Amino acid sequence: MSSYFSIEYLALFLPAVLILYNLMPQRYRWLLLLFASYLFFWLISGVLILYLLTATLTTYIIALHIGRLQQQRNMLLQQVDRPERKAIRISYQKKQQKFITAGVLILLGMLIVLKYSGFIGINIQSLLNVLHLPLTLQIPSFVLPIGISFYTLQALSYLFDVYREKIQAEWNLGRLALYLAFFLTIIEGPICRYSDLSFQLYEGKKISWNQFLFGMQRIVYGLMKKIVIADRLNLFIKTIFHDYNSYDGGMIALGALLYTCQLYMEFSGTMDVIIGSGEMFALKIEENFRQPFFSKTISEFWQRWHISLGLWFKDYIFYPLSMSKPLKKLTAWARKKVGNHYGPLASGAIALFCVWLANGFWHGSGWNYIFFGLYHFTLILGGSLIEPVTSRIVSFLRINKESAPYQFFQIIRTSVFVVIGELFFRAKGLKAGIHMFITICTNFSWTSLSNSIFSIGMDRQDFIVVIIGILIVFMISVVKERGLSFRALISGQPVMLRWSLYYMFILFIVIFGAYGVGYIPVDPIYANF
Amino acid sequence: MKIKYVVRSILFVTGLMISLSLASWVVFPKNNSVEFGMSDVNANGILGEDDDTIDVLVLGDSLSYSSISPMMMWKEEGFTAYVCGTSAQQLYESMNFLKQAFVNQKPKIVILETNAIYRSFSPIKTIENSFHRLFPVFQYHDRWKSILPVDFGGSVEYTWRDDLKGFKYSNKIDGINAQDYMRKSDQAAEIPELNRQYVKDMAKLCEENDAQMILISTPSSVNWNYKRHNGIRLLAEEYGLNYYDLNLLSEDISIDWSRDTRDKGDHLNYFGARKVSAYLGRFLKNEYALPDHRQDKNYQSWNEAYIRYQQITEQS
Repeated sequence: MSSYFSIEYLALFLPAVLILYNLMPQRYRWLLLLFASYLFFWLISGVLILYLLTATLTTYIIALHIGRLQQQRNMLLQQVDRPERKAIRISYQKKQQKFITAGVLILLGMLIVLKYSGFIGINIQSLLNVLHLPLTLQIPSFVLPIGISFYTLQALSYLFDVYREKIQAEWNLGRLALYLAFFLTIIEGPICRYSDLSFQLYEGKKISWNQFLFGMQRIVYGLMKKIVIADRLNLFIKTIFHDYNSYDGGMIALGALLYTCQLYMEFSGTMDVIIGSGEMFALKIEENFRQPFFSKTISEFWQRWHISLGLWFKDYIFYPLSMSKPLKKLTAWARKKVGNHYGPLASGAIALFCVWLANGFWHGSGWNYIFFGLYHFTLILGGSLIEPVTSRIVSFLRINKESAPYQFFQIIRTSVFVVIGELFFRAKGLKAGIHMFITICTNFSWTSLSNSIFSIGMDRQDFIVVIIGILIVFMISVVKERGLSFRALISGQPVMLRWSLYYMFILFIVIFGAYGVGYIPVDPIYANF
Repeated sequence: MKIKYVVRSILFVTGLMISLSLASWVVFPKNNSVEFGMSDVNANGILGEDDDTIDVLVLGDSLSYSSISPMMMWKEEGFTAYVCGTSAQQLYESMNFLKQAFVNQKPKIVILETNAIYRSFSPIKTIENSFHRLFPVFQYHDRWKSILPVDFGGSVEYTWRDDLKGFKYSNKIDGINAQDYMRKSDQAAEIPELNRQYVKDMAKLCEENDAQMILISTPSSVNWNYKRHNGIRLLAEEYGLNYYDLNLLSEDISIDWSRDTRDKGDHLNYFGARKVSAYLGRFLKNEYALPDHRQDKNYQSWNEAYIRYQQITEQS
């Protein structure tokens, strides 16, 4: 089983689990999901399941300890007078902090050792070489268990939520294990919160016919994005990014644009299959995308793209840092010095820097990923810094901020920034990314674009199919952006029209999908993070 | 309420199958040539042969079409053979070719080149294969780029014939020193269970169609060894099939590995194939009493094809 788009998953695993789920008594359904999740993990990562088990047991034990301390504290608080309460709170707070620190160190430690030790080792070795120190490091290399970045963040969010007393520590190990290993969220997310997902998984709700149909439709939509668009674009993109020295700025810019499109189609298509599969089990899995290319600023883009990751960073890095005593003091001091707009920006910038550094690292162990994170940090911070100036310019030029042309300009501007970021994200290292970006700036030519566009893996017909696919996604996105449900609109149509549309859509995927001889499907991009 | 959903589902799936069948009908190649979008044209050249004219059918991976030249056997012995071998052929594909051949041909001998028996594949592939056979649109969907007017109304008519009868000609020489690749061993290489089942099913299908299936290992110093030989020997004994390992016949087929291979012992070239085909033709003719059609006027196209084959191979 290689991905949610594999025949093994769509034709065997999913139907088998669905049938068994329906046959199971409601109270045991969660056990089936747990078994299916561990089987799913085993089929992909085999014995590396031990890492998942270690993370689960660590999370379970530490959360129980924290929970136990909270119970003890609450009992003590009831027994003592008000003046003593503060001391008890502080004492128990410190005890809890020890446990949460241990949990974070173990979980993050496993992630860092497995995912980043190679990167860290190579960079230390480079540093030693620069300093002419005659030391040679043995750089370790580990095989990563699938979804480690995702289940680690979920485990951390669970621990933090228990620590913050948003949720109670779970005594049922199986229930926690299911939350961390659930087969629909473990490979590519979304990064769900325990309070959102666990109850649903445990509840084993009855599947309704309409939900089942909606789920199927959502899966087919995801298949279209992946097989018709993302996989077909792969023909062009892999050549451009592999042999970037052979192409001028025009072709590289097109490559970056198409890669951004591919990434969105692949990742959001996977989310469609995940959310659709969830609907078939009567589960509501949170959306991870909300029409990101309608964003008017980079901040807004990140509220619409990989939403669950952004929320995780906001809740567990940005807010705690912003609310920390040193940064609060800094804000107060800065307000006095530079006023109400720039004052909070100082502490915000520090918290934001940490968020985007973490974001870059989370995506991968390479300098291009770190650059990718810091690039967005710069754009967001820069946007805030120059905001008063741009507002003045806009009002001086008497531009109506609500007018369609201005909003269109904002959308295009944001998209251009996003495409530049994705260029570095996909490039074979930071050096390659810089080289490609410089080529776009210094050697851009429309002529080569028109001459060579159809000679790099995709011909005119391939482009037409991709454009049709993108137009379908755009049309559905516009409907969603207006707050309407495309599936509800379709389901309100007469049966003949509705079925005809379904058949046409399925045949569109079957005929124009980039699969079979001559095609190499793009790997699940986010599964590697 | 539930019956309503079941009826709706059945109706929807029926409509979907009709749609897929219609799409399959449109994209399915209407002739067996490259121009009509046929896949594996050389192997599918058998579709263009007259009915009931093939005596020996050869199945297998690239070793089959690199080692066995039907035209050479025709010239020397007068029986007709066709190689339905394809690159990295899996046994489910061999089965497809076998079933396809039995529709219009009645071969007396079916040769399975044994390297394919060691090519393992996932059971999922067999599901995919069934889907491709049921709805060819999954296999030929990419033909939308080159769809012809005839695809919408014309009937299927196979007219293209391969003058090499499935053999792949290569005069490239890239030799190797491979004297002892068949060093004796008592061990037997394991054959995947699914592959064993396919061999069994193919033998059964041959029996039902009055053909005899035999297993042949053609020379390849890269792909073959004694452990594999033992594995196939045991399999042949178990299923009652005749097995001939040409790798062991260095005296009868004196393969010179320094010049009879095109890629360092992986595949034979034309010079190696000539030696194998000369021996194999003689052996099959004597062992299985195959007919000689060289003077038969119904087979004159083979004599004409041989002249063209000669023109192709003369450059060697």
